[in-house]
Amino acid sequence: MASPENFKRNPDVSWRTIEGQSVLVFNREGEIQVLNEVGTYVWEHMGEPIEIMARGIASEYDVSEEEALKDVEAFLEELKGSGAILPAEE
Amino acid sequence: MDTPLSLLLNRAMGKAHPVYASMELTYTCNLACRFCYNPVQRKNQPRTIPPPAPSGEPLRFEEIIRLLDDLREMGVLYLTLTGGEPILHPDFWAIAYAAKERSFALRVFTNGASLTERTVERLAHLAPNCLEMSLHGATPGTAEALTQTKGSFERQIRALEWLRARDLRVFLKVVVTRLVEHELETIKAIGSRFGYPVFYDPVLTPSDDGQEYPLELKPSDEAIQRLYSASGLNIGNSPFEREPGQYHCGVGSGTIAVDPYGNIYPCVQWKEPVGNVRHGSLREMWEHAPLLEQVRAVSRALPTQLMTSVRDQAYCFHCPGLARLQTGDPSKPYTQALRVARIRREVAEKEIPLNGIETVSAAAHSD
Repeated sequence: MASPENFKRNPDVSWRTIEGQSVLVFNREGEIQVLNEVGTYVWEHMGEPIEIMARGIASEYDVSEEEALKDVEAFLEELKGSGAILPAEE
Repeated sequence: MDTPLSLLLNRAMGKAHPVYASMELTYTCNLACRFCYNPVQRKNQPRTIPPPAPSGEPLRFEEIIRLLDDLREMGVLYLTLTGGEPILHPDFWAIAYAAKERSFALRVFTNGASLTERTVERLAHLAPNCLEMSLHGATPGTAEALTQTKGSFERQIRALEWLRARDLRVFLKVVVTRLVEHELETIKAIGSRFGYPVFYDPVLTPSDDGQEYPLELKPSDEAIQRLYSASGLNIGNSPFEREPGQYHCGVGSGTIAVDPYGNIYPCVQWKEPVGNVRHGSLREMWEHAPLLEQVRAVSRALPTQLMTSVRDQAYCFHCPGLARLQTGDPSKPYTQALRVARIRREVAEKEIPLNGIETVSAAAHSD
């Protein structure tokens, strides 16, 4: 199972949270991604165990912990695919 | 076109959240471009008053790092390192890496003539968001007439070869003057040869201390027409330039500028000091400085004012900083912007059929 604690943010991706949404700038590719609120939560808490993150999301947004777990996993796959995150040991 | 990013940034600017910062690291430069607005250390310029003295000691490395921390804390995303030639700052690399570690999207302005193969290798390792490099001509004769520096063109072309080989993201920029206007298309071809887009800026600015020598190089109407014709060239100071008619350029609400001595300004074109980072907190200045309040009020009022005061407002880039420098009033239309707007409108009227009518006489709309 993919978990945020196994990943770190790619240092070549610059970012800031602006008005509650994280903006990711992929410096080498020149692309930009704007995350929604839940995506921003995941991004800002990257490195935490997935259970804690899911609990945090469930308490802040109107979703169950199970749903949050699934969403986080799917989102991590997306972030991995885009190169926004790297394996933590790298 | 509205994108999620542009909507977000507009919302942020509406709440005075600074997104863009520009740091002039040094005024030292290896070139002496005749159009340069920086009055310090320029040679051979026809000045009527002596250049201003530096306003104190340059910021020390630790002060720059504190400034980076403050800018990060305030939420700035895009950080431009500029100058002079920023790479000539003795601590450039340490500053650039510190900025990267703080997750700024780094834009580095360079004239390219200062780059060596080793520097380009280091830039590739740094991986800034982009390099914005000036080109001054398509031939050594033209380029060096502007840079007043022998060998500058050859060094720039060599730099482009190294940058391409290292796959760095580069935007080429051309300040359009009468000296280079006959080579605009050839410069575009140079850009294409290296796979880099070229942006052309037809607006010359007086020097920061109000001297008008750069304006003596203004391009012809015909050159500006070529820029804006349908088959023309990319226009704009950089890929970050706004669309015409968008007067909310972010001055005072989305942008902030710092000079090598720690003076804070609303923008690099609006060089009225808000304060100095040595004498107060940057956040405090940003949130409470009376000057910034005034700048925001000017910026908010501009769209309505220009609707009535500028006839070709749909084609007009009005820079409040330049307006202030040239007329003393940031809201007042200034000659250069009006001239470019008029030419743009004439080109558009010739090229865009209106209700089946092929052309509209420019004379019918003359100012």
